[in-house]
Formats: sequence, C-alpha cells, structure tokens
Amino acid sequence: MNGAHDLGGMHGFGPIEREAREPVFHQEWERRCFAITLAMGAYGAWNLDMTRFARETMPPGEYLTTSYYEHWLHGLQRQLIEHGFVTLEEIEERVDALRREMGHAQT
Amino acid sequence: MPKLEADRVLHVLLKGSSARPGVPAVPRFAPGDRVRTLNIHPYGHTRLPRYARGKLGVVYWDHGVFVFPDTHAHREGAKPQHCYSVRFTAEELWGPDGSPNSMVYINLWDDHLEPA
Repeated sequence: MNGAHDLGGMHGFGPIEREAREPVFHQEWERRCFAITLAMGAYGAWNLDMTRFARETMPPGEYLTTSYYEHWLHGLQRQLIEHGFVTLEEIEERVDALRREMGHAQT
Repeated sequence: MPKLEADRVLHVLLKGSSARPGVPAVPRFAPGDRVRTLNIHPYGHTRLPRYARGKLGVVYWDHGVFVFPDTHAHREGAKPQHCYSVRFTAEELWGPDGSPNSMVYINLWDDHLEPA
C-alpha cells in the first residue's frame, strides 16, 4: 500500500539524528512491546509479512509523528484485536485503569 | 484459544523463522538480465517501493526461493518464487537529480518484474 512507511525519495525530514552509544530501548515499555510482539509471533496466529502490513496501515499523519516502537505497538494491537485475542474496549479499559492508578500515585 | 507456553517461544527464538519455503521454483530471470518493475499500487502489502515502480534495472544476484510477501501478508498463499537483488542507476530512479555514481540495489521477487 502507498502508506507513510514507504519513505524512499521523500524530502524534508532533515538529517538523521545519531546518538552516541544508542541504547537498544529508550523506554521500558519498548522492551515489553518488543517481547510481546516476538512471543505472539511464536504463537503462530499470523506471519511476519502480516506484521509488517499491520504497521503500514497506521494513518500517515500518526505514522510520521510517532516513534519506531509506537509503530510496533500499533501493529501488535491491531493484530491482537483482529485475531480475537483482545478487544479494543479491553485495551482502553486497561489504559484508563493504569492512568487512574498513576494519577493516584502522583497525589 | 490455546495458551502460549514459554517453551514454545524459546524454541522459536532459538530456531528463528525462515522465509525460505524449502521448495524449488523455476527462476524467470538470471543475473545480467534487464528487467522492468511493474507499475502497481496495491491497497495491500508490497515489497516494491513506490520510487522503483515502472523502472528499468538489471538482475544482479539471485537469492534463491522465498515466500512472496505481497500475497503471504494477506493469507493469499506463500507463492514460492525467486527473489533477486536488482540494480538500478540513481538516474533511472531520480532522473537528472540522481547522482551518476550511485546505484540502488532492491530485493525484488519474480512477480514484481517483467523482461525488458
């Protein structure tokens, strides 16, 4: 599909930022997202090419303004929902619950 | 839905998963052949990038037989076929804005190519 992932030949993004001693993961959630993606790959409900397509379907504006592992998270969630492992409502409920917990922890 | 056991994940992580189906397929092209990429804009997944559609290139290397991602991504079959490294001049891809000293090598499958 002609999505935002197909960046070859596009102008205007500026130089690639290089980090000295770049870590594998910048945030703890990225490590978990990576692990769950690989584990679900091992489950065998979908294949690698389906995983790529799931990331490519991210709306272009969102794709270009989010990080690499946010693309992975989007693809993972889409596949978990499509294959009936979890519903969008369940994910949203959990996010709301975590947000409330964090809110309480801060007060 | 069966539960995902940790042992199964470990096995896959150690073994890896392969996109080589292990079946033979007759190659449509050989290194040195001139090819033109298809001008396709599928709504589904494709490994043929937009900037390389409808372009002339030369088969540089035959990687062997792989599953075809464009159909495999939609459960429309593995369609095992040869995957090649295809070389394009920067001028073919970008016109006069391409550097005359640059080449781009793209891994493409039989179904992305036609003889030229």
